[in-house]
Parts: sequence; C-alpha cells; structure tokens
Amino acid sequence: MTLRGKIPFLAGLLIALGAGWIGFPYAIYQRRPQPVDFSHKVHADKAGAKCEDCHSFREDGTFAGLPSLDKCAGCHAAPMGATVAEKNFIDQYVTANRQPRWAVYARQPENVSFSHIVHVKRAGMTCESCHGDTGSSDTLRPYQVDRISGYSRDIWRVQTTRGGVPMPHGMKMADCVECHRRKGLEHSCLDCHK
Amino acid sequence: MKTTRREIMLFAGGSAVGVLFTPAPWRLITDTAMWSENWPGIPRPARGEIRSRYTNCALCPAGCAVRARCVGDQPVALAGVPGHPLTHGALCAFGLAGQHLPYYPARVKQGPVKEAAAAVAEGIAKCGPSEHVVTLDLRPGRTVSWTYRRAMAAVRNGRYVAATPEIGGPVAVDLSQARTVLSLGVPVLDGWGTPGNVIAARPGFRLIQAEAVESRTASMADLWLRIRPGSEDALARGLAGTITPAAAAEATGIPESQIGAVARELADNGPALVLGTSLLASTGRTIVARRETPVPEEWRKAAPVTDLASLPDGSVRVLMIDESAPGEYLPWNAIEKKLAPDNPVVVAFAWSLEGYGRHARYVLPVGVYPEVADDIPPAADSVAATFRIAAPLVAAPAGLVKPEGFVASAAGLPLGDTLRQRADAIHQTGRGSLFTSADGKSSALKEVSADDFWKALNAGGCWIDSPDDGAATAQLAPVAGAAAAAEDSELPLVAVLHRELTPGSPILSKLYQESNLRLGPHGVALHPSCGLEDGARAMFQTLLGKCPVEVALDAGVPPGVVLAAASPAVLDLCANGARAKVVPA
Repeated sequence: MTLRGKIPFLAGLLIALGAGWIGFPYAIYQRRPQPVDFSHKVHADKAGAKCEDCHSFREDGTFAGLPSLDKCAGCHAAPMGATVAEKNFIDQYVTANRQPRWAVYARQPENVSFSHIVHVKRAGMTCESCHGDTGSSDTLRPYQVDRISGYSRDIWRVQTTRGGVPMPHGMKMADCVECHRRKGLEHSCLDCHK
Repeated sequence: MKTTRREIMLFAGGSAVGVLFTPAPWRLITDTAMWSENWPGIPRPARGEIRSRYTNCALCPAGCAVRARCVGDQPVALAGVPGHPLTHGALCAFGLAGQHLPYYPARVKQGPVKEAAAAVAEGIAKCGPSEHVVTLDLRPGRTVSWTYRRAMAAVRNGRYVAATPEIGGPVAVDLSQARTVLSLGVPVLDGWGTPGNVIAARPGFRLIQAEAVESRTASMADLWLRIRPGSEDALARGLAGTITPAAAAEATGIPESQIGAVARELADNGPALVLGTSLLASTGRTIVARRETPVPEEWRKAAPVTDLASLPDGSVRVLMIDESAPGEYLPWNAIEKKLAPDNPVVVAFAWSLEGYGRHARYVLPVGVYPEVADDIPPAADSVAATFRIAAPLVAAPAGLVKPEGFVASAAGLPLGDTLRQRADAIHQTGRGSLFTSADGKSSALKEVSADDFWKALNAGGCWIDSPDDGAATAQLAPVAGAAAAAEDSELPLVAVLHRELTPGSPILSKLYQESNLRLGPHGVALHPSCGLEDGARAMFQTLLGKCPVEVALDAGVPPGVVLAAASPAVLDLCANGARAKVVPA
C-alpha cells in the first residue's frame, strides 16, 4: 500500500484518537452551574467561618451535609455587600424562602455507605484530605455529572495513577482504596458497599 | 476528488483501531454498568435525619417493644427496647426484620370491596333461623376482637369464633416464680410466651421437656424426656396418679423410675409449673390470676367467644375471617364443613394469599405491621393485664380495608376510634403504670393525663396493670399445640408441624428457601423405617383430607411421627399433634 493509500486509515485513526481522548471526556459530562455563586474564601476570611460551622455533625454523629437556608439566613437576612451574587441570593432564595438546590460534588451513589464521623473524629482526617482546597475557593466550579451513570465526576475513578504518575487524592473510590491500603486498614468491598 | 469505497473502509478501519486506544469504549462499558445499578425501579434508601421511633411488634402475641431506627420517616432497622419490663430488650429474628413485611412480594393490595360488602349484606339478609353469621378471629383479645363481638351481637344469629382460647383472659403463667418447669410439648424456648421474659427467667428454673421429637426447646432443656408420640396425656396422668406409673411407662416408653424421679422433682423442687395439660394445674405462685384489660362498659354487650366445633355442620351462611394479624390457623377443611352447602359467603381479610384467601370468595387487602395501628393482648406469661399499641411506622398503601370497619358496617354498628376509647377506659381506672420506651421510665397512671397517656401509647408505651391481690386462685387452661391425639389405627402417625413459615421478612424466606436445611413447603420427614424412599412422592392424610408431599427420611425423626412443614396445604388438614398417615402417591 502506498503512503497515499494509507491516508484514509491514518485520518480515521487520528480523528478517533482525538475524539476519544479530547471530545469524549468533554461530551460525557453534563455541566450544571451551582444555584448561587458561593465563595468559601470570603466566608473563611471575612466571617472567620470554619468548615464545621456550616457542615456540622448532628448530635447522633451523623453528618448534616449542606446547611439549610435557615443557617444562611441567620447572617444573610438582608444583603451583606453589594455584589450581584449576594443580591440574587437574597432575592431568589432568602426572601422567597426557597432552598437552593446545591449540586453536591461529593454525593456518593446509593450503594455506598460512608461515615464522615469515623473519618474525622476517629481517623483525625482533615476536610482537605478528601475535599482538596474547596474550603478556600473563591467560586464554585460547575457540577459535572456523567450523562450515562449519573455519578458526579468527583467520585468515580478506578486508577490511582495516570501513566505511572500518582493522581491527586479526592473522593473517588480509588482514593478510598489507596488511602486505606496505605494505612494498612481493611478495604474489602463490603466495607463501603454494605 | 472521488472517494472510493476502499478509502471509506480504510477510514472506518482506522477509526475503529483508534477508538480502541482511547478511554471511550471502556468508559462506556463501566458507565453502563453503573447506570444499571441506579436505574429506576431499584429501591433507594431514604436520606434524611436519623432518629428513633418506638412501637410494639405485632407479628406474634408476644408484642415485643421495638425501637425503630428511621432515616427521615423510613424505618431502616429495628431493635428491642432495653429495660422494658415485659420484653427485656429482646426481639426475635422475625421481629428484627419486621419493617420488610409491607414489601412482601406476593402481598394482596387490591380486592373487590364493594362486591364483598354487597354479598355480605345479602347473606345476612338471607340468613335462615338455623344459620349463622360468623366472624373468625385468628388473634382474639384485641380491641378489634371486641368490635367483632359487638358486631356479631348486633346481627341476628351472629357468632364470634376465636381460633384459640382468648389470650388476655383471667390466667397467666409467672415463670419468674417457677423452679421446675415440666413442658408437655410446649415450645417454651422457641416462641412461646414473651421471648425476652422467658430468657430473663430461664436461669431460675430447671426445664424438663417431654416431647417425641428433638425440638429446639427439647435440645435446650435441662432434661429431655423422649416420650412416644401422642403420649403426653399418659405422662400427665401418670404424674397425677390417675394411672399407675407402670401404665404410664408402658404408654410413654420411658422408664418407670424416670417418671417417678420427675414426680419427685416436681414435688420437692417447687414451685413447679406444668405446661401443656390441665391435669397438673399447679395453681398458686406459678399460675396467677390476671385481670382483663379494661374496656368501655358499653362494649360488654358483646357476643360470647365461641368454639368452631360448637357450630353445627352446614350452618354458616356468612363467614368473615380476620387473618390480618398472624395467629393460630384453624384447618380450612374443618371450617369448610361448617359452611352452608348452597353458596355461602366467605370473606377473608388478608395481606397474602397463603392462608384462607385461597378458599374465600372475596379476599380483601389489609394493612400489615408496621403500617396499621393494632393493640396487642397480654401474652400467656404476662402476669398483669397490659395494653400496648403497634403504632404505625410507615404509611399504608391506598385501597386497603380495615376489617373491623367492614364487619361493623355490615352489622350496622357505629364505630369510632376504638383504640382511643379503650385507652380512655383504662385511664379512668387509674390503675397500674405507664412505661415509656423513649426514656425507659415508668410512671403511675394516675399522674398522667388521658391525652398524654394516648400519646405515649402511640409512641410505643406500655400500660401494665397493678397486681390484683384479691383475685381468686386461677386454673390453667390447656395450652394450644400440645394436645395429645387419640390412638387411631387408621392414622398411625402423629403430625408434628415444623413451623418455619411464620410471616416475616422476605429476606428470612429467602434464607429459608436457599439454605435447604429445612423442610420445603411440601416436605415431610419420616423415620427411615417408614417403608418409603427418600425423595418419594406421597400423600399426607388426616381425618380432614389429604395433600401431596415429598418424603425426606431422617433418622432424627422417631418412628410414629411425621414431621411436616406447616405449609398452607398441610395447615388446611390438621393442627399440631393430629393423627395422620403418609402413603405412596
């Protein structure tokens, strides 16, 4: 076969590689903006808030997760500042008494059992161990959900390395397994998939 | 430039090769698998605040107190209530999985309610002077039982039939006082009474179990008397002295000396308690009088409790059967004899078709524990009258029927909130104490308002009557299930029913079905000397009829006994201890 004869094959090969490595990862995720342009950084710096002030444990040890509107309205009954985000939040949620429908990056699927209090209180892990620098972010990145599985992009990955290079830790199953293995803890399927 | 077919094929081939070196196909496989884990129809556990709610288990007459761990409003795990004065924190395997029962796969959820009401009304109108309108109650002693009795009193020729002697009557067993317990086939350690109470009292008494088969109670007893099948009555008479020890030994197959030793132990190591016979009613400290749980005075105008056998054959024109609460199952073939020969009306209030619903003309769906409120009569080993409500933990599906409402409506009996009326009647007595499960505290009823009493009952609370010091000495009635069968040469075997099919979680049924360690629904076990082959098809026959079974040979089953799984077909033919035979099909 001549070089000219190989061109269609190579073209198909290159287009497929490009689509598979660049186009597919983009297309497989649906991007959804968060309802409010929330700044963790502002709340940490100006209000001196800590993670557990809003993301608290209940008395029985269960994790309350995201704060409800009542918690926000405790300070934001009236606009604090003149930003557009603040005005929108007050008008659309606080005044209307409507709960923001936050998209939770770390939302685990139904078949996963995860206990925050065991990891925070017993293992002494910091929030950043899994959630990275979310607590110091100035804006909320779009929530990305897998169009087929419905899982958040932040929670699912099999490999802990890419090309032999360790990937940053997060909230994916591979991260859980890797951390448990590193610390010599049990990591059987039924630990989390009860 | 002209594109040839060869070039298109090359392009496609290149694309196919290229795709294989990208994450796309592999990711699609993974994503599809994960999608299948979450597609619609797969049950999803509720998310929400975790809290405890309290109720009482209605799966059996013990009525154990239950603490439900709920996520939002959905109960996800059940446990006992530590410190409970009646149930002592215990909960059996069925109780632990009780929250699954509403999701029973074969549950009845729809039924011809209007047609059934019309047929019952017509049947009552056409009921002849020698015919009866009957309500059969599988668990007597409840507040709905009083409604049935009142309704039957309001109907011409109405009869209220209870499957077993009414629990909650004037007699109770005080296990805590017993030092020696002789059980004639009563499953003392396997579902009799209140499990937590039995376990709590167990260290205090020596248990002698007289039984032909090595039941779970026999295997855990201090002494197992392996008597001949059906010879419980002979043993009792030998111990009572109405027959000679030699005759008792001959009938039971155990040595005369052992019968003498048991008699001495009952006399010397008292207080003694004998269960399963009225011949040795050990009145006094172990058999105590118990007051009836109070009811409003106007309810006293009620039909008496009738035995099925007292009804003439062919006399029942209308039969309404409440099997919403699991209870003793009367053989259908015995009931069928009582029905009028020409087109009787039979209505079953059932949540599954595994009981009388297989035979009834109308099957009406009812709620199950823990989705409907129902009270629980005191158990046989409850020394004081009690009142507890199985408060709902989940919402009942639409379209269900309230049996008491249906029966009362058919009888033209106005019906209010009967549970509340009875709670008020109890409160008016001012007697006894109220135990609240949430804080584990007891308080005198006199200190609690009627509204607070009602609220506490609906939050798993329990009213316990005060001791009745002036009560007359009680007499122990024979315990159901231990009746000895008369000798019958045509039916040489004694049927021992293997009860593993108690209504409960489908998960428990699944374990039972897959373990293969227990008799299947159509299985019977016989001694290898029976003359049949292992796995053979055979007919199980009693006085009431016969049904096909599969034979399993087991050297652990004594000769003269047929161990039968208590399947619906077998329960239609006999009760525990009945005479039977197994013949080749």
